[in-house]
Amino acid sequence: MSVPRARILDLMKVRCQVFSTTYNPEGIRTGNKILRQRLRGPALASYYPRKMSTVQDMIKEFAPYELVVDNEEEDDRLEHIVALKQRGKGAPKKKKAPASKQDQKAGKKR
Amino acid sequence: MSMFRAKKLDLGCFVNIKTIRDHSKRKAFEAFETQRQALRYVIRNQTLPARTRAEAQLQLTQMHCYTRPTQIRNRCILGGKGRGVLRDFKMTRYNFRMQALDGNLPGVKKASW
Repeated sequence: MSVPRARILDLMKVRCQVFSTTYNPEGIRTGNKILRQRLRGPALASYYPRKMSTVQDMIKEFAPYELVVDNEEEDDRLEHIVALKQRGKGAPKKKKAPASKQDQKAGKKR
Repeated sequence: MSMFRAKKLDLGCFVNIKTIRDHSKRKAFEAFETQRQALRYVIRNQTLPARTRAEAQLQLTQMHCYTRPTQIRNRCILGGKGRGVLRDFKMTRYNFRMQALDGNLPGVKKASW
């Protein structure tokens, strides 16, 4: 026993009304699934931790009250550099000559 | 690209050019996501005229590559490496092991049976 298509469409229409869905018998693509998607941007953008306050900020903050903050890492670094210099292994001093002359010298070496 | 980069460094993790680049890509994607989704909607909607849909396609392809989600890659927050990164801990497997053995990761424990 076959049912006419019009009757089936009527049934679909009523069903859509009852369950409050869109009546779309031809199955046309309306792109609504794009609109239904959630935005992923905020979740992706918060992947890396943001900058917190540093020792430098503390030093700046306390400077007006004449409080001294020790930056241990910086102290260690400076101590290490002093030790290197004593052994004659420090970084070379910056050249005072203009840049063009340095380029010529570097060119000759090659 | 440098136009998407923050003027002042706002990263609190391991910093090298790759993490900075990835971070700026993430922020660019966040800024342009709604525009991309709108264009994608227009492209998928068959009830709109073919010309508008084609124009939307063209616009979407001509957007800057930094606004694409596929450009984003999870990187290690301790070493900046791009491979072998555990998603749950945002670390490479080696850094994860070191942190776990040090007891810095709450609830993580070495299995033994």
